[in-house]
Amino acid sequence: MAQLRTGFLVDASRCIGCRSCQVACKEWNRLEADKTTNQGTFENPRDLTPNLYNRIQFIEKADDKGAVTWRFVNQRCLHCGDAGCMKVCPSPGALYRTKDGIVGFDKEKCIACKYCVSACPFDVPRYGPDDKVSKCHLCLDRIGAGMVPACAKACPTQTLQFGGRDALIAKAKGAGKTLYGENDLAGLGVLYALEGKPEEYGLPSDPSIPAAIFLWKDVLKPLGILGFWGSVAAAVLHYVTFGSRPPEEDGEGKGGDAHA
Amino acid sequence: MPRYVERFDTKERILHWFVAASFLTLLLSGLGLYSRLFHGYFDLFGGGQGAILVHKVAGVVFFAASLLLFFGHFREMNSFDADDRVWFRTLGGYLSKNPEHIESGKFNAGQKAFGIFMGIATLLLGITGLINWFPLSFPRAIVQLSLLVHGLLFVLFVMMMVVHVYLTTIGNPGTLEGMLYGNVRRIWARKHHPKWYKEVEGK
Repeated sequence: MAQLRTGFLVDASRCIGCRSCQVACKEWNRLEADKTTNQGTFENPRDLTPNLYNRIQFIEKADDKGAVTWRFVNQRCLHCGDAGCMKVCPSPGALYRTKDGIVGFDKEKCIACKYCVSACPFDVPRYGPDDKVSKCHLCLDRIGAGMVPACAKACPTQTLQFGGRDALIAKAKGAGKTLYGENDLAGLGVLYALEGKPEEYGLPSDPSIPAAIFLWKDVLKPLGILGFWGSVAAAVLHYVTFGSRPPEEDGEGKGGDAHA
Repeated sequence: MPRYVERFDTKERILHWFVAASFLTLLLSGLGLYSRLFHGYFDLFGGGQGAILVHKVAGVVFFAASLLLFFGHFREMNSFDADDRVWFRTLGGYLSKNPEHIESGKFNAGQKAFGIFMGIATLLLGITGLINWFPLSFPRAIVQLSLLVHGLLFVLFVMMMVVHVYLTTIGNPGTLEGMLYGNVRRIWARKHHPKWYKEVEGK
């Protein structure tokens, strides 16, 4: 799979915050507009929604001299190589991986358990009024037809660079960029070239599947199955070694505890 | 002298079988949610969404019935005496071919501990179940923990059920009669719950 994986390189240094990616995504995927309110910032909407598969975060930062810098970063599903959402999804095919490594979803197969919401290391999946999962699927319908995802097509500054994952990594490294997500979670399908610490871009510095989800799926699940069959085996073993304890019909027989 | 003594009245028996039936429903509808390995169990409910719906309804029934059963016996279970300590020390004689005499009351120490576990587990399964039901209404960290605790209690619960079913059927013949018909044989009562038997006889 590795050499076939496709994905994005999000070069944060190139982003001008125009939000063409947001608009193009909505147009291609026919997602309705969310009604928002002015909250004194250009960032809009303030979070991913069931109708918003990607968005630009506007991060303001003041330096010691009081000069303010703006950072723009594209937030979306990062198509983890080891995806928490797929790990917990109980409905086969509701979340699936394409042969080029993209994590797609199928609303028809989603059973609305919302486990993926809890298991995502980046808090990406959203549920709308239809009670079905929604998130960026990297326009896999476009990719299948040999086109570039809508957001990347619309991006005027080549912030969103789509292509083979290995080639994108090699190119970014050749240009001396600091990469985020090369090896995390078996490699993110969407990589970031950042100009600072990941936290400054609202990204976890050491992304991982949430501990409780890991304990459930990788520790409790096998131990639980072992525990069940262990209990059955213990009962059978007890039955054939110590045996059952029937009440003696004569009432005064062996066993001791019938003596009054 | 009648051959039988009454052990569980009609109300207790009905409640017990409500708990049992709802538990079995919860088990079958929840297995597929516990792991994709058991995805096939969804078919019993016409798919995953059906299983989730049934799981929610059965969960409410189980929560109410199990807690009613628990509080109905709370005083009996929450009273460990010296004889119960003997039971714990000897593990009820279950690991001995020739067990020593233990003066158990209506419920022995193991049954009391089992009852208390059931009560606590029901409460926690209910609380975590409600959180898992509305995951978008709680902080993510709470829901993550809740999913883990729900799964952990489920595992412990199922293991307890295996032991419970074994001990009340082939492990101790004659026990099931009490839960089916309400009455147990005198010799059964004298063997397994001598202190309780003496109380009943004394009346």
